Amino acid sequence: MGYAAFETGTATVAPALAIKILIAGGFGVGKTTMVGTISEIRPLHTEELLSDRGIGVDDTSGVESKVTTTVALDFGRITIREGLWLYLFGTPGQDRFWFMWDELALGALGAVVLADTRRLQDCFPAVDYFEQREIPFVVGVNCFDGARRYEPGKVRRALGLGEHIPVVLCDVRDRRSVRDVLTTLVTYAVKGA
Amino acid sequence: MTGEDPGPLIRLYGLTGGRARPQGESFDLVAIVVTAGDPAEPADLIPEHRAVLALCRRPTPVADVAAHLRLPLNITRVILGDLRRDGLVRIERPRPMAQAIDERIYREVLDGLRSL
Repeated sequence: MGYAAFETGTATVAPALAIKILIAGGFGVGKTTMVGTISEIRPLHTEELLSDRGIGVDDTSGVESKVTTTVALDFGRITIREGLWLYLFGTPGQDRFWFMWDELALGALGAVVLADTRRLQDCFPAVDYFEQREIPFVVGVNCFDGARRYEPGKVRRALGLGEHIPVVLCDVRDRRSVRDVLTTLVTYAVKGA
Repeated sequence: MTGEDPGPLIRLYGLTGGRARPQGESFDLVAIVVTAGDPAEPADLIPEHRAVLALCRRPTPVADVAAHLRLPLNITRVILGDLRRDGLVRIERPRPMAQAIDERIYREVLDGLRSL
């Protein structure tokens, strides 16, 4: 066997590029649903095999219907063309998995922070995280059935967000709605507007 | 005995020799894996290694390799690290996003999203 010191036969016209986008927010806010709504593949659920597995009880108060949790990672994919993909990674929703965020966030184009107006405080940690690391993010206010509708401006003020950070209402079960959130993020991350 | 089937864990252990971390320089979840050009494969490759070499003839992100193998990401990384050590795959370091996304790629992404 020979070491391929000089690559041949794998030349591509343009270098392949996988663009990483994070979907963050509190536990039960709809991250997994959002990834599943827009992904062309069934979202892959995987785990890092942790030697020290945290023990705790997930706080599901106010989140009536969610019975499972994203314990490690799930991700979806959107193929733009051969060699150009968007990857959507749902961030672990529980505090004990914070250590995985740094790896996920490295090199990411940006993030969607999903907010539930019934538990707006749950997305504070994600907002803080991305602000501190200067990772572009948009806030998607998931309009749950039965949840009060809020004006984006009120959510912006409640979260203490600057005027430049997009806040959009969305329905994570609706493909067009998720698409619009991602379009907003990509434009904001690339163009700063 | 716990009564649980130990089969999958033993298999995972066998794939990695119990290692949790890949050989050599770490690589991102969406780093691009490309099968090295030399067509001569060692005869003793395990099926997972063969699967990676076949898949990555087309440049493929690490996350997709894991999905294809149906293995946890860290197991996949150990496998990829071994293949890289043996010169069978190349794992490209991602470029910074600001450099990678030029106007043309930005337009492609927007058009692609809008067509969904």
